[in-house]
Amino acid sequence: MLEIKNLHASIDDTKILKGLNLSVSAGEVHAIMGPNGSGKSTLASVIAGREDYDVTDGEINFGGSELSDLGPDERAREGIFLAFQYPVEIPGVSTTNFMKTAVNQVREANGEKPLDAVQFLKLMKEKMKLVNIKQELLSRSINEGFSGGEKKRNEIFQMAMLEPKLAILDETDSGLDIDALKIVSNGVNALKSNENATVVVTHYQRLLDYIVPDFVHVLMDGKIVKSGDKNLALELEEKGYDWIKVKN
Amino acid sequence: MIDASELKDSVENENDLVTKEIKTKSLKNIAPSFKNYREEYKYTPFIRRIEKKFSSFNPSSDIKNHEEYRELIPDSEKYYIVIVNGSFLKQISSLPVEIEINNYKGLTKENREIFNSTYSKTDDSNFDIFSTINSIQHQNCLTFRINKSTVLDGKISIYNIVDSKNPVYFRKCFHIGKNSKVSFSEKFIYTSHESYFSNSVTEIFMDENSNLNYFTDQNINKNYHYNSINVFQKKDSISNFHTYSFSGAIIRNNLNIKLTEKNCYANMYGFYAIKNSSHIDNHTSVDHIDESSISNEHYKGIVDKDSNGVFNGKIYVRQKAQKTNAFQANNNILLSDSAKVNTKPQLEIWADDVKCSHGCTVGQLDEDALFYLMSRGISRKDATSLLLSAFSTDITDKIEDEDIRENYELMILRELEELNHE
Ligand SMILES: Nc1ncnc2c1ncn2[C@@H]1O[C@H](COP(=O)(O)OP(=O)(O)OP(=O)(O)O)[C@@H](O)[C@H]1O
Ligand SMILES: [Mg+2]
Repeated sequence: MLEIKNLHASIDDTKILKGLNLSVSAGEVHAIMGPNGSGKSTLASVIAGREDYDVTDGEINFGGSELSDLGPDERAREGIFLAFQYPVEIPGVSTTNFMKTAVNQVREANGEKPLDAVQFLKLMKEKMKLVNIKQELLSRSINEGFSGGEKKRNEIFQMAMLEPKLAILDETDSGLDIDALKIVSNGVNALKSNENATVVVTHYQRLLDYIVPDFVHVLMDGKIVKSGDKNLALELEEKGYDWIKVKN
Repeated sequence: MIDASELKDSVENENDLVTKEIKTKSLKNIAPSFKNYREEYKYTPFIRRIEKKFSSFNPSSDIKNHEEYRELIPDSEKYYIVIVNGSFLKQISSLPVEIEINNYKGLTKENREIFNSTYSKTDDSNFDIFSTINSIQHQNCLTFRINKSTVLDGKISIYNIVDSKNPVYFRKCFHIGKNSKVSFSEKFIYTSHESYFSNSVTEIFMDENSNLNYFTDQNINKNYHYNSINVFQKKDSISNFHTYSFSGAIIRNNLNIKLTEKNCYANMYGFYAIKNSSHIDNHTSVDHIDESSISNEHYKGIVDKDSNGVFNGKIYVRQKAQKTNAFQANNNILLSDSAKVNTKPQLEIWADDVKCSHGCTVGQLDEDALFYLMSRGISRKDATSLLLSAFSTDITDKIEDEDIRENYELMILRELEELNHE
């Protein structure tokens, strides 16, 4: 489903990704771990199509086609979703209004009829239940004045609304209390299927007790330096990243 | 451009004695008001630009068949006042019975009394050269009398129609009685897409505990427009001004409010979305003369390529005006490198027990917000529209009347749609 080969990306002439390879197939859950500043969020942004980054070498294939010419909106319509590490606050635009536009533009791109007000409301109610988010929050300006946990929940709510093929969750677990962590994980698990895949970026092994990964990768200095199964995460928690450095 | 003999002739030819007195006084104000031009029009080269277009500043009084003008009024309007090239066309206006609208020259002596303390007494014609010229060149002042305790629901629309290649002068005087509440919505409609010029001066007297909503919208393509609104508020009165500007070769708005007694409240809101090489200049001043009044000003604008926005907000707090609250903000989004904004607050405070704040911002569209919206599948164009219209909502949200608010929200949406042509 996602095939990244020898990806090099930089911003303002600073090289951040330095030959990264990653392959994700439908039905899989991948976890990416790595020290602060190693390039995890950069990778997520580059996949989502953020234009501030220059991809200087390598390629990203998604569902068989090259992504480099597609804007972030087109990638989203192809089924890529990024849950932001730091969701943006947007005064004056309500989540409800924004999601209605988004859902219908994605549907239109896929040759489906737009939802009318009633159908949209029904879908929203269903997904709100999934992540236990209140209507009141969604009628407010996007993320404005939301607590850290509410912002993360809003990201998963949006993911549930859009039902992406590939979801990238960038530290969605940070700032969540244990109950919220369970709610968010249940949401992610409920949406899991053989047709879609999930990439979770995290610093904490505890998330992986809830969202069990098929593969764990370690990203350091712009490259994936080690991959393994879920036990790699346990090992990392115990020994730290120095362990890998030493081994290399 | 300022041909003294032409102006003198206008004064000479005036038949009405009171009006002639006003014009004579104004003629003497030409020199002092012209002195302020350089400073007050630093970023708006008004005279230089219109000099090339007009050889004379004499007004036009040509008026075509009235039916042609009636067609410019939408069916949805209930009450409307039609003024063409400065002349009030009562025959094709639709007036509410509660208010009296008449030409000053047609008023009886007693009725004139009501307006004599306002008419050409509270305007800025000793300060702004265009108001001075208006005082000399206007033909007839249209007077609006709202008797005390008159409360009108809905709005009265004023259609100022400019249908002449000569300069057109509009002149109005409002007297809003004690405990009254009214809303006016003023439009400037040009029959040509370019090079016409109109100059409008309005004086508004608000008696005790009166309440006024005053809307102005300006979308005049490549025409020129000068608009000066001067307000004189008595105690406990509340004014709400809304100014929406979209296009114009040059538009200059002066909004001057004097809070002359205690417990006045003045709200000044503005929104501009400037496109097609337009130049829009908002100069406002609020003068706190007596204590415990509140002024609240917020102008926001979006400026597209090759266009210019100018904002200048003056706040005066006189020594007697203790316990004043004065707020001012101006926020701008530039959509292109060739868009320009000059924004300047100007505060002069002589009292010590005062709460005053001001802030100006000039920025671009928030790229992080744009990426966030696009990453959910929304096209760049629609994401931009969402952000731009969100930017306007804290201005339109201030409109109390739901119908009027919706009307302006739609107008802004349409304009943003055009602005966002990418
Ligand atoms: N605009 C920029 N200019 C220069 N360097 C940048 C810019 N944006 C990010 N970087 C750098 O890129 C590197 C990778 O950042 P990134 O956010 O991808 O790290 P991360 O692995 O997600 O870290 P964390 O675990 O703290 O979230 C960092 O060193 C960061 O300082
Ligand atoms: Mg990160």
